[in-house]
Amino acid sequence: MLTPLSPPGDPSAGQLIQRGAELGVQYINTVMGGVFGKGGCSLPAAPVRLAVEDDSGLPEKSVAGFRRLVTEDRAAGVFGAFHSSAMLAAAPLADEFMVPYISTQASAADITKKHFAAVFRTHPIDPDRAAAWLGWIQAQGWHRVAMLAENTDYGIGLVEATKALIAQKKLGVTLDAVIFDRTSSDLTPQLLKFKAAKPDVLLNVGVGTPAYLIIKQAHDIGLFPQTPMLGSYDFPVRAEYWKNLRPAGNYLAFISYYHPRMALTSLGKWAAVEYAKRFHDTAIYSNLNSFGDAVILAQAMNLACSRDPKRIVAALEQGRFDTWIGSGVTFPRADGVAWHQWSPPMVILQYTQPDETYDQAQILYPIGMKTGTYQAPR
Amino acid sequence: MDLTLLTQYVLAGLVIGVIYCLMAVGITFIYSVMKMINWAMGEFYMIGGYAQYLLIASWLGPQRWALALPLAVLGVAALGMVVQRVLLRPMFVGQLERLDEYATIVTISLTVLFRNLAVVVFGPYQFSPRDYAPPFQLGPLPINGSRFVAFLGAVVLLGLFAAVVRRTWFGLALRGVAQNRLGAIAAGINLPRIDMLAFGIGVGLAGAAGALLAPVFLVYPESGALSTVKGFEIIVIGGLGSLPGSIVGGLLLGLVESLGSVLISPAFRDVYGFGLLLLILALRPTGLWGEQAREA
Repeated sequence: MLTPLSPPGDPSAGQLIQRGAELGVQYINTVMGGVFGKGGCSLPAAPVRLAVEDDSGLPEKSVAGFRRLVTEDRAAGVFGAFHSSAMLAAAPLADEFMVPYISTQASAADITKKHFAAVFRTHPIDPDRAAAWLGWIQAQGWHRVAMLAENTDYGIGLVEATKALIAQKKLGVTLDAVIFDRTSSDLTPQLLKFKAAKPDVLLNVGVGTPAYLIIKQAHDIGLFPQTPMLGSYDFPVRAEYWKNLRPAGNYLAFISYYHPRMALTSLGKWAAVEYAKRFHDTAIYSNLNSFGDAVILAQAMNLACSRDPKRIVAALEQGRFDTWIGSGVTFPRADGVAWHQWSPPMVILQYTQPDETYDQAQILYPIGMKTGTYQAPR
Repeated sequence: MDLTLLTQYVLAGLVIGVIYCLMAVGITFIYSVMKMINWAMGEFYMIGGYAQYLLIASWLGPQRWALALPLAVLGVAALGMVVQRVLLRPMFVGQLERLDEYATIVTISLTVLFRNLAVVVFGPYQFSPRDYAPPFQLGPLPINGSRFVAFLGAVVLLGLFAAVVRRTWFGLALRGVAQNRLGAIAAGINLPRIDMLAFGIGVGLAGAAGALLAPVFLVYPESGALSTVKGFEIIVIGGLGSLPGSIVGGLLLGLVESLGSVLISPAFRDVYGFGLLLLILALRPTGLWGEQAREA
């Protein structure tokens, strides 16, 4: 597993991913009885071991970590990526060694768009996310969209995907996108500019600390919640959200990839129950998707009946796999960004009470799963 | 551009500039007295933030944030004095030849140590104490209460610092040491003690900035990294060793960043500061208030 476990990346995401990976290994070694030894595979059953490397969200550390996992730990596959820039840096190495590398939570389009032979993804891509928030924005009848995005592959990719979708579908939405330096701690001037422009909604495309700073500083100058804000990923489901923001975080809408109302597979149910037992907490997407990636790799090893990473890559391309939220997961050699891509469903949730937990949050979108409507402050 | 909006940007820049000054004054003060650069200033800023958070969250409660502030600053200053006594004094007492290199290695090592300790002790998460005050309207600028408190706190601390340096016997001793260390020894000044106090006061100012800004910019292991860079930019803009230069440099940097990020693009916010730095170095290589010196 290669994930951010120290700053300047988002180490709290890395810790959640690591917990899911540990649970995945537990599932493989106990419920699945390890890898091999079944279904016509002549190799004896063997337990799997999790090797962990910290990429700190930095491209150079990601490259070094990937190399160590492959050359020193002899990894049969690598997963756990969270920061797109870090994953994109190590992706060419995956091809060089032909070791499968699965993106657990890195969503930049280039990760799959570049058609790396050994790179796969089980996380929504930029166009999925842009389609989700533009769908919601249209359903709300909003037209003027402001977007504050960090200067990373993630932020820039989302600006481009949103612009492209607006142009392609002629949505009649005007987008005022501003890209900020991720290391900036004071975003007040940009937020003042947005406040003066009076947009219908502000898209918060910061990751980790910047995501919190945008909410806090927008609240300080009276921009949010008077103007609705949508968080670009599921950071509000973490315990520190309310601790850091308190009432300032109320009324935020945010994208999430899991809500307890979603139907889980038997794998997902096992993970949710065991996670609660082992970590005394409710499983969230980072845990579940990392768990799923570990189990998918084990299924691919079984299908390949081999430890050889090249054969595992081939098995991932050809097989159908079960994960926490769906069965029949495939990674086809499809065109463009859909190459080796499988996307879980996405929902837009909203907090309407301070200290609300994410399972209490109303689902605003998609319309088929909607449990409530957007609540503006009184 | 709307005049109100422009005034808001200028005010936002000046507010953040005053807060930058605290960090820069601390760096320049230590440099003036000890003739060494403390590269770990950002980490003392970070420790100030954690100290403030811990005091409020686990002992004093959110209502007594004003009591927590001096305690956090004193704690950071005390830690600084211990660091100076244990790690830095030996090089001054031993009269090392490559003093600058030694100080650089020690303080850069401290940045790594403190950051990693923060990860181990507090985890990688962000923390934030409650806001010190409700939102405030500063002319046309809606401002967060904590930011306004930080602004006022910075002004008060800078004034207090200037008063101590300019108007007390202790300040006179500090100025004497800053002018000529050997001369200060000849005049009977206890140099090791002055060094220790100067280091404590300098990092205390960084700790004060961290404690004041804890609810504004959040507290996390990397929170001091950027403030160190800003601090060094400011002291070069203002002139190495010049206290008025640090203050003017801080205000200029805050203004340039604020205006540049709205008039040009926020993606290059840090570039504007470096642009200003390069411009000033091209026009005045010693900075705005720096003095030329000769070395034998």
